[in-house]
Amino acid sequence: MKIEKMSFEQSMEKLEEIVKELENENISLEESMEKFEMGIKLSSNCLKKLNEAEGKIEKLTRTKDGKLIADELDLEKEK
Amino acid sequence: MRDHKDLNSKIYTVSELNSNIRKSLESSYSDIWLEGEVSNFYFQDKKHMYFDLKDEKSKIRVVMFHHHNRNLLFEIEEGLHILVNGYISVYEKRGEYQLIALDARPVGKGSLILAFEHLKEKLEKKGYFESILKKRIPVIPGKIGIATSAGGAVISDIISVLKRRFKNFHLILRDVNVQGITSADEICNAIDDLIEYGVDVIILARGGGSLEDLWAFNTEMLADKIFNCPIPVISAVGHETDYTISDFVADKRAATPSVAGEIVILNKTEAVENLKEINKKIKNLLKSKISKYKREVGFLINRRIFIKPELMLGRFRQAAGEARIKLMENLREITAAKAGSVSEYYRRVDERNILRKIYAFKMEIKNKNIVMISNIKNYLLFKKNELKMILKNLQDNNPIAVMNRGFALIYKEKVDKNIKGIDEVEINQKVRIMLRDGVLKAKIFDRIYKKLELGFKNED
Repeated sequence: MKIEKMSFEQSMEKLEEIVKELENENISLEESMEKFEMGIKLSSNCLKKLNEAEGKIEKLTRTKDGKLIADELDLEKEK
Repeated sequence: MRDHKDLNSKIYTVSELNSNIRKSLESSYSDIWLEGEVSNFYFQDKKHMYFDLKDEKSKIRVVMFHHHNRNLLFEIEEGLHILVNGYISVYEKRGEYQLIALDARPVGKGSLILAFEHLKEKLEKKGYFESILKKRIPVIPGKIGIATSAGGAVISDIISVLKRRFKNFHLILRDVNVQGITSADEICNAIDDLIEYGVDVIILARGGGSLEDLWAFNTEMLADKIFNCPIPVISAVGHETDYTISDFVADKRAATPSVAGEIVILNKTEAVENLKEINKKIKNLLKSKISKYKREVGFLINRRIFIKPELMLGRFRQAAGEARIKLMENLREITAAKAGSVSEYYRRVDERNILRKIYAFKMEIKNKNIVMISNIKNYLLFKKNELKMILKNLQDNNPIAVMNRGFALIYKEKVDKNIKGIDEVEINQKVRIMLRDGVLKAKIFDRIYKKLELGFKNED
């Protein structure tokens, strides 16, 4: 699976795996480099996912003709 | 009989009157609560309910249509004491007034708890609470759906928790009444709408309240909706101590609405810190791996061969020189030996020949060994026999053995020398006769010459 396609959870899981693998004494230098590179990619993917969401608060309503519409929510108006 | 015209008043048709009464009653008794005992209960095709509510003195007809009674948490039955909410209407066709029930509850909290337990048990049996069926709540949901009242404190509480944890969250509110007859229906519709719109998780939230207030969250209808929802649902109803059916069916129960805000999304600051830690850790792991290899390489590099390779070369050069000299010498020797027969030289050197010789020597030694050992054996045997003979001889000639057989030794009286012939003693000379067990002292009184013969017995 490509790292960019991975969810935050999947990336985190893989990242923890990599930490464990790197902690293994018997791993070769080449492998260590590979794992390290992958780890860096995974953690930046995690960061990306953390910043991906839009940051919106909306209110969902169904119009008379049955369409669903999401508008910005103003809590003051609702009271 | 009085003419009706004389009365000067309006004449109604039956329909008119019934219609007017209906309108009047409906406006006067549009939202009432009525308490009474159920009698003449009739459940038409398991859809519409018809029954009477009565007290000691009076009774009233009640109708509860399917879309109202399907949300009931308990089963209405004959003799049950219930509280009914609805309005008064008239069935014009028959001119009968009746109560149209929209909601009903068993009277007394005990009954409600009983009803709650009844439904809980039923759903548990159906496997609605199975933990293996619970869906995982995503760690970072792209869109968080929430069904709650837009005017309540709950939504602002949740928003403030979310803001604290994860600045760029995306929340979609679907406004519902969380209390009242329609609330269960509204919440179910809200779930459908949120699914249709496309959210990653749904929160059902409501503040604390009485068991009656939380009614909607204890309905079988909402339980079914939550159970069949393809998106993970968090139930956040009431206070920490309030438990509703939706809490059990939902994929996750949040003790309070604020807790739902914590469950639904991770703490971004913590997550970023955690990622930093991991990055640091893998960097350090790689660093220590590299320095370990560096140490190993360093050890090799510090060896002489890598520091002053020319030294090694010099040694080889010297060895090569020596080898060259030796080679030349050998060549000279070989050339000198060429005068002799080369084939003779080879024959002698022939390894197989040497081995054959060694083998022959070995055989010879072996044979000699055998001969030697048998000679020694024979010699020993001979010596053994000789020794035997000596021993036997010795035994036969042992004087004690002779005396044991009845012979005696005769000694002169004072000389320790035995007498072998009769001339050695004088007549009247004293002698000692030695026998097996002692010595006899005797005196010679005669001498008779006679040659010793075997078989000699007595002599007088």
